[in-house]
Amino acid sequence: MTGAAAMSRELHIVGFQVGRETYGVPITSLHEIVRVPEITAVPDAPEYMEGVINLRGKIVSVIDLRKRLGEKKIGSSRRNRILVVEHKGRLSGLIVDSASEVLKIPAADVEASPTSFDEGRSNCVTGLGKYKGRLIVLLDMTRLLDLGIIQKSGPHSGAGEARRAASAQ
Amino acid sequence: MTQPFDERGKELRELFFETTQELLQTLNDDSLKLEQSPGNQEIVRSIRRTVHTIKGDAAAAGFRELSELAHTIEDALTLESVSKSVSLAEIGFAAADVFGAMISAYQTEGALPETAVVKALVQKLTSEPNKASQATTKESVPGRAEMTWTEYETLSAETLRAEGKKVFHIVAHIDPLCAMPIAARQLVTNAIASFAQILGVRPESGASVEVRRIDLLVATSQSDKLLISRCEIPTVIKAVECVDFGGPGQKNTPAAQGAAPQPAHHDVSERHVVAPQAPKHDAARSTTSDTLLRVDSERIDNVLNLVGELIIGKSMLQQVGQEFGARFPKDPLRARLSDAMAFQARVLNDLQRSVMKIRMVPVEQLFRRFPRIVRDTAQRCGKEVILELSGQDTDLDKVLLDAIAEPLAHIVRNAISHGIESAAQRTTAGKPATGKLMLNAYHQANQLIVEVSDDGSGVDAEKVKVKAVKVGVISAAESERMTQQEIVDLVFRPGFSTADEVTEVSGRGVGLDVVREVLHRLKGTVELETDRGTGTKFRLRLPLTLAIIKALLFRIESRLYAIPLNTVAEIARARESDLHRVDTWEVLQLRGEVLPLMRLGETPAEDTKHSQKKIFVLVINFGGRKWGLIVDALESEEELVIKALDDQTIATDLVSGASILGDGRVVLIMNLGAVVGRFTTSARDGVPAGLFHGRTAQNMTEARQ
Repeated sequence: MTGAAAMSRELHIVGFQVGRETYGVPITSLHEIVRVPEITAVPDAPEYMEGVINLRGKIVSVIDLRKRLGEKKIGSSRRNRILVVEHKGRLSGLIVDSASEVLKIPAADVEASPTSFDEGRSNCVTGLGKYKGRLIVLLDMTRLLDLGIIQKSGPHSGAGEARRAASAQ
Repeated sequence: MTQPFDERGKELRELFFETTQELLQTLNDDSLKLEQSPGNQEIVRSIRRTVHTIKGDAAAAGFRELSELAHTIEDALTLESVSKSVSLAEIGFAAADVFGAMISAYQTEGALPETAVVKALVQKLTSEPNKASQATTKESVPGRAEMTWTEYETLSAETLRAEGKKVFHIVAHIDPLCAMPIAARQLVTNAIASFAQILGVRPESGASVEVRRIDLLVATSQSDKLLISRCEIPTVIKAVECVDFGGPGQKNTPAAQGAAPQPAHHDVSERHVVAPQAPKHDAARSTTSDTLLRVDSERIDNVLNLVGELIIGKSMLQQVGQEFGARFPKDPLRARLSDAMAFQARVLNDLQRSVMKIRMVPVEQLFRRFPRIVRDTAQRCGKEVILELSGQDTDLDKVLLDAIAEPLAHIVRNAISHGIESAAQRTTAGKPATGKLMLNAYHQANQLIVEVSDDGSGVDAEKVKVKAVKVGVISAAESERMTQQEIVDLVFRPGFSTADEVTEVSGRGVGLDVVREVLHRLKGTVELETDRGTGTKFRLRLPLTLAIIKALLFRIESRLYAIPLNTVAEIARARESDLHRVDTWEVLQLRGEVLPLMRLGETPAEDTKHSQKKIFVLVINFGGRKWGLIVDALESEEELVIKALDDQTIATDLVSGASILGDGRVVLIMNLGAVVGRFTTSARDGVPAGLFHGRTAQNMTEARQ
């Protein structure tokens, strides 16, 4: 089987952990993944807005995705990473608990997200992927970031909804 | 209507919009000059040339309505006798306004709503002098489409010119009294045919349209003068224009083709050959267009960004150099390294300055709009005002320049309508009847200062106070405590206007608060100085560029911030116990002066341990007064390359930008304007300060260890 043919049937997903869940975004939507450097906090910013970092001479704002997704317990460890994504021509960083694997999920193993998700405030879940018995919540980065700008993080979170949906299955 | 939009046409239109702004400015300038020296032939001609150029350019860009209107106006200017030139200036102003309105309508691709109205206005303006002048010369040239030669005609013209022939575009205006325009056209064609090869005729020979004008494209070895004299058939032809058609460097740009040729205008009735100045003007234009480049400002920004990165690179290298020096103090390489770095630093400095200069334009570009604004406003207010400009050659970033145009115009209009008194009042006060308004610009440290001063009545602090209390901007009790300056500064508060009634000129709801807001957005400030009876001075301070500043770095709650060094007057040391609380303000007594303090971090607990804590107070000059900034520690003094924080996720105005230090750390640059603003409003509302206090990225720092 050629690479191109394989590509068409498999989704290349970068998996990352926030809390107990594994999320995934298409590898193409990621700019890079970096370790967490020193973050300069910005005054007067929303809670989830962690600050700015120096990414090789570029100043990039960093959002704590764990706060965005409503994680209650936010610890920090050496495994924390920043996913750098390009959004509307600018780079943004998202802090996650850890990110390591590139998952190849067959397109057939991806289910559309339940319609009830659309009613939720986030609407950034594009589907649920099954990978070796695990459930990967596939996210749309662009929508997530749009949301991050417009809304303040509330008590109801995308992660909570995802978990609820996952346990219902 | 306008042709369908294609790529090239779009480019042409953009060029048109840009060049026409210049032309409109020239039109305004000339009209002003004409108003001052009525009857100056030279100026009238210059105006006519400008309108003619606009006509040609507009036609080339496909804006037929504008071209036709320009034509009508051009005709009016042609006919106008010199003695009527006062109204000519009026026409000039009206034309500039109308053109401007039409162009912005084209630009926004909006409808051209006003054209009918303004056309009528212009026609009224043009018909009046016509009536006044002799009826026999009454103008009746109908609006016509701009000349376009077919590709074949243009091509043959170019071929013939290459062969050494001269190619002219002759326009003959047929006398309105001539009863047979079609025959007249034939007559002209015949007259020319014996001297020149006719390449094209408009209208086509044989066409029966009632057009009192004929356009001929001819190739000849004769001079244009001879051709003109051939065309001048008494009682048949009224005027002849002969224009060099195309020419090297012109044929490729249709806009220039329409614009550049200056008509060797010949009036049969006046028998007088026009404008020796015209070719000179033309030559100047063509030489500058060779060395001028139109570059997208985005590209310059890119280069500037890269230079910024280089400077960061330089400081990285310097840090390494220092460490190297400390580690190997005896190494001969050390001297060579520092030599190389010094050289690099010098070149970088030059590079940075050169790149920044690209973006800089003289303030002249902004100031030149003001004579017209002042004239109009003064006329509407029925006041006499002269305008004095100085410091026009001061450079400023183009972006900033464009941004302050509106605020500045507002201040100027304000000064004339409210500041300067009527002639009668002035005489009573013992001042010259004519009010004086001054616009001045100069550099101070790394700021540009623009001053607008008038010799009017000044701001009446009492009146401001009463009004402020009345509209509820401040309470009566507050007003008693305020200093004179503080009261005067109230005019910058939203919803405030000292004008008793709303006038057409100012007080249209757009107040000085908007001016201040714009300035704050540009990281600048606006100050007001006033002397009752002798005048008012507005001082706008702007950063010269948004690119590089010398800054003082300090820490608040272990977080690093920077402020421009030139705002820091002095640094004082104090203990927490030295601070006093007055009302909602913390103050420090510094050599007998009471300094209001701004605590950016957390307010410490009131126990003995904390009260002995040493702090630094940065005494800053801002908005014409001193403030103290409480900081925990001083870090260093550095040259910072400012990077904009135009990320939508960072919406705060407390920070004006960020910079990267040599060791890679990010430092935020505080926007003092916004910080002071927050403190003054929060002090009024009684909200405790502590703006820069907040959660730290502590956990992240731990994670790295």
